[in-house]
Amino acid sequence: MSIVKMNKINIIGLDGIKTDLLKRIMDLGVVEISSQDSKLTDPEWVSCVKKDGNEEEVFTFDVRISQVSEVINSLEKYDTSKRPLFNTRKPVTKDEFIKALDQNDHVIEKVAKVLELNKSLSELCTEENKTEAAILSLKPWVQYGIPLNITETKYTNIIIGTIPAIVNIDELKSQLFNATDRCVMDVINSDKDQYYCSFICLSEEKENILELLKQYGFTPVTFKELKGTAEENIMQYENILKDISVKRDAVENGIKELVSFKEEIQLYHDYLVIERDKIKILSNMLKTDTTFYIEGWIPVECREKVQKVLDEYQCWYEFKEPQEGENIPILLKNNSFVAPFDSITELYSLPTASNIDPTAAMAPFYAIFFGMMLGDVGYGLMFALGCFIILKKFDIEGTFGKMLRVFFWGGISTIFWGVMYGSWFGDGLVVGAKYLFNINLPISYLWVDPLKEPMTVLIVSFVMGLIHLFVGMGMQGYMLIRDGHLGDALMDVGLWYLFIIGPILWLAGGMIIPGSPLPVIGKWLTIAAAIGLVLTQGRAKEKIIGKLTSGVLALYGITGYLGDVLSYSRLLALGLATGVISSVLSLIGSMAGGIPGKLMFVAVFIFGHTLNFAINGLGSFVHSARLQYVEFFGKFYEGGGDPFNPFTKKTKYIKIKEEI
Amino acid sequence: MEFTIGGFLAILGAANASMAGIGSAWGVALAGMAAGGVISEDPKKFGPTLMLQALPGTQGIYGLLIAFIIMNKIGVLAGNIAPLTTAQGLMFLAASLPSGITGTVSAIWQGKVAATGVQLIGKRPEEIAKAMVYAAMVETYAVLALLASFLMVNGIQI
Repeated sequence: MSIVKMNKINIIGLDGIKTDLLKRIMDLGVVEISSQDSKLTDPEWVSCVKKDGNEEEVFTFDVRISQVSEVINSLEKYDTSKRPLFNTRKPVTKDEFIKALDQNDHVIEKVAKVLELNKSLSELCTEENKTEAAILSLKPWVQYGIPLNITETKYTNIIIGTIPAIVNIDELKSQLFNATDRCVMDVINSDKDQYYCSFICLSEEKENILELLKQYGFTPVTFKELKGTAEENIMQYENILKDISVKRDAVENGIKELVSFKEEIQLYHDYLVIERDKIKILSNMLKTDTTFYIEGWIPVECREKVQKVLDEYQCWYEFKEPQEGENIPILLKNNSFVAPFDSITELYSLPTASNIDPTAAMAPFYAIFFGMMLGDVGYGLMFALGCFIILKKFDIEGTFGKMLRVFFWGGISTIFWGVMYGSWFGDGLVVGAKYLFNINLPISYLWVDPLKEPMTVLIVSFVMGLIHLFVGMGMQGYMLIRDGHLGDALMDVGLWYLFIIGPILWLAGGMIIPGSPLPVIGKWLTIAAAIGLVLTQGRAKEKIIGKLTSGVLALYGITGYLGDVLSYSRLLALGLATGVISSVLSLIGSMAGGIPGKLMFVAVFIFGHTLNFAINGLGSFVHSARLQYVEFFGKFYEGGGDPFNPFTKKTKYIKIKEEI
Repeated sequence: MEFTIGGFLAILGAANASMAGIGSAWGVALAGMAAGGVISEDPKKFGPTLMLQALPGTQGIYGLLIAFIIMNKIGVLAGNIAPLTTAQGLMFLAASLPSGITGTVSAIWQGKVAATGVQLIGKRPEEIAKAMVYAAMVETYAVLALLASFLMVNGIQI
C-alpha cells in the first residue's frame, strides 16, 4: 500500500559514452528522463548548455516506422491463419533479438516489396474506379448506334445531350417540329432524372435548334476522345476491368506470399521503435561541447542498480530528495492481490505524492460490493473461470490484464454472495432441474433470500456503506496525523465519527441490544459531538459570529453522510435486479410443456442468462466503481498525479526478456 | 375470473412500471446516435461505445422487474387474479409510480449523459471509466426508485 518513493537523479558524463550509457539505462528501464525545457529559459543555464537532440533523425525513423506499420497492417489483412483471441507480445530473448537483427537485410527487402505491392494495388484501385465511372457515363447511351466520334456529316450536324425529366417531351417535339421539319429527334433512354436524346439537323440550322433546346434545359454531352459506338466502348472498358482484376489478384497473391514474414517484420518494427526512442530521448537532455546532462527521477529502491552502471561509465551523478512543491511522478506498488486494483485507481486519477495510495483500502470493498450487486454463483463462476482461463492462456499486460484480475476477484466474491443468497443462476438451476429432469435440488440460501427479506439485506448494505465511509474518513484522519495535524484529525474526523455513531445508537440502540443504555449513551454522544462541531468547524473564520455560524452550518453536513449511506442501497437493489430477472427467465422458460417446452427452457436459459450476465456484470462494475470514486474517495482522496514514465523499451509486438 | 376495479388498477400499476422502457428506448437511442457519429471516424470504438449505450437501458429492465413482481403477487402469471379491493389496486398503482416516472425521466437524461460520454471517448478513449461513472450518477436515482417501488409492492398485503 504505497506510493513508491522517488529520488531525483542528475547525471553528467562525457559525450563519448552517451550512446552506450543510454542503451544501458534503457535496458534497466527504471529512470525517467524529464524534459529540461525550463532550464533553457534560465540565462544562467543557457550560457553554458544547449538542448541536445536530433529531430531530423527522429523524423526519418518516424517515417520508416509508419511505413513498416503500414506493411504489417496490410499483411494482417491477408493473413488467413487463425488469429489469437487477444494480442499479446511475443517473448524473445536478447540473443534471439540480436541474431534476428543481424540478418534483417531480407526483412528490409520484404518491407520494400510489400510497400511496392501496396502502391500498385492502390494504383489499380484508382484505375478501376476511373473505368467504372466511364462505364457508368456511357451506360445510358448503349442504344445509340452512331459512333460517338462522328458529330457531323457533309451537310448535317449530330447533337447528343440530356434534358431534365420534368420537361414535357411531347411539347418539345412539337415545338421543334414547328421550328423546322428538317431535324430528327430520338429519345435514346430515360431515367428518373433526365432524358438522353440525339438530334440530327442541317448544319446551318444548328444554332437555332440549340437555342430552342436550351430553353428546355438541354445540356450537350460529348465523348471526344472515344471512337466507336457506346456499346463497343463499354465492352472495351469491361475488358480493361477484367484485366485489372487479374492484375489485382496477382498483386494480392504477392502480398499473401509474404505473410509468413510478418513476425520478422514486427520484430523489425520494434527494433526501429527502440532506436527511435534512443534518439528521441536526447531532446530531454542538455549538452555542452563535450559533455551531456541528464535530470530525472528514479525509485529509491533502484538506486543501486543504476549506480553500478554509472560508476562503470565514470559519470558524475547525484541522488537528491525531492523538494517541496516538485511534481514527483507516481508509481504504485502493491501486493499481488491489491495490485490489479491499481487499474481502478488509475481510471480515476493517480494520487499526488503528498496524498496516499487508496488502492489497498479500496480493493476488498470493490470486490465485496461487486459480489453483492451481482450475487449469483453461476455468474460468479463465469467471471472467475473466464478470467482465470484467459489469464492462464494469454500473457495479457497493462490495464486490460489488471482488469481481468479485478474481475477474477469480483467473480470469487460473486460466488460467495451467491451462496449466501442461495442464487444459482437465480432460481434457474433449481427450476431447471425440476422441470427438465424432475430432480429436486436441495439448494437453499446460507444467510438470507433477498427477495423474501429485502429489509435485512438493506440494513446490511447500509452497515457495509457505513464501514466503507468510516474507513475513508479514517484515511483522511491518518493523513492529517501523518502530516502533523493531530488537532485537525480529532476535530474534522473524530467528531464526525461521534456525530454519526451517536444518532445511530440513539435511534436504533434499543433494537441492537434491547434494554441496554445504548440510546441514552447515543443521545449524549450526539449532543456532545454536535456542540464540539459547532465550536470547531468554524475555526478558520476570524470573528466569533462567523465561527459560530459556520459551526452550526457544518451540522448540515450530516445530510451529506445520510445521502452517502443511502447510496449503498444499490447493493441490495442491483442484487435484486439480477435475482428477479433470473426468476422471470425461469418462468418464461417453463411456460410451454412437453419436449418443445424443455427445448424452449434451454434456449431461454442460455440466451436470457447471457444477456442478464452481460448487463448486470456491466452494472456491477460501474456501480462498484462509483461507490469507490464518489462515496469513498470523496472522503479523503485527491487525484492529479502524473504517472512515472521510465525510459524503457516501448515495444508493441515483442517482449525482450532480460537474461539474469 | 371476475373483473374488479382493484385488479384493473393493479395491472395498470404493472403497466405503468414497465413504461420506464419508454425512457430507456429514448436514452439508448440518444446514446446510439452519438455512437454512430464516433464509429464513422473509428470503427474500433464499437465495444466501448456499446457499453455506454447500454447504460440507459437498465431503467426499462427495472420497470419490467417491478411489473413482474406486481403480476406475480396478484396472480396474473399463474392465470387467476386474486380478488383485489379497489384500495389494494390503488396501492399497487401508487407503488409503481417511482419506477415508472423516475425510471422514464432518468433514462432520458442518462441517455444524454451517455451521449456526451460517447463523444468523450471519441476524443479520449482512455477515459471511458469516467464517462461511465458520470452516466451511473444519473442511474442512482433509478436504482433508488426501483428500491422504493420494490419495498412498497413487497409490503402490500393481499
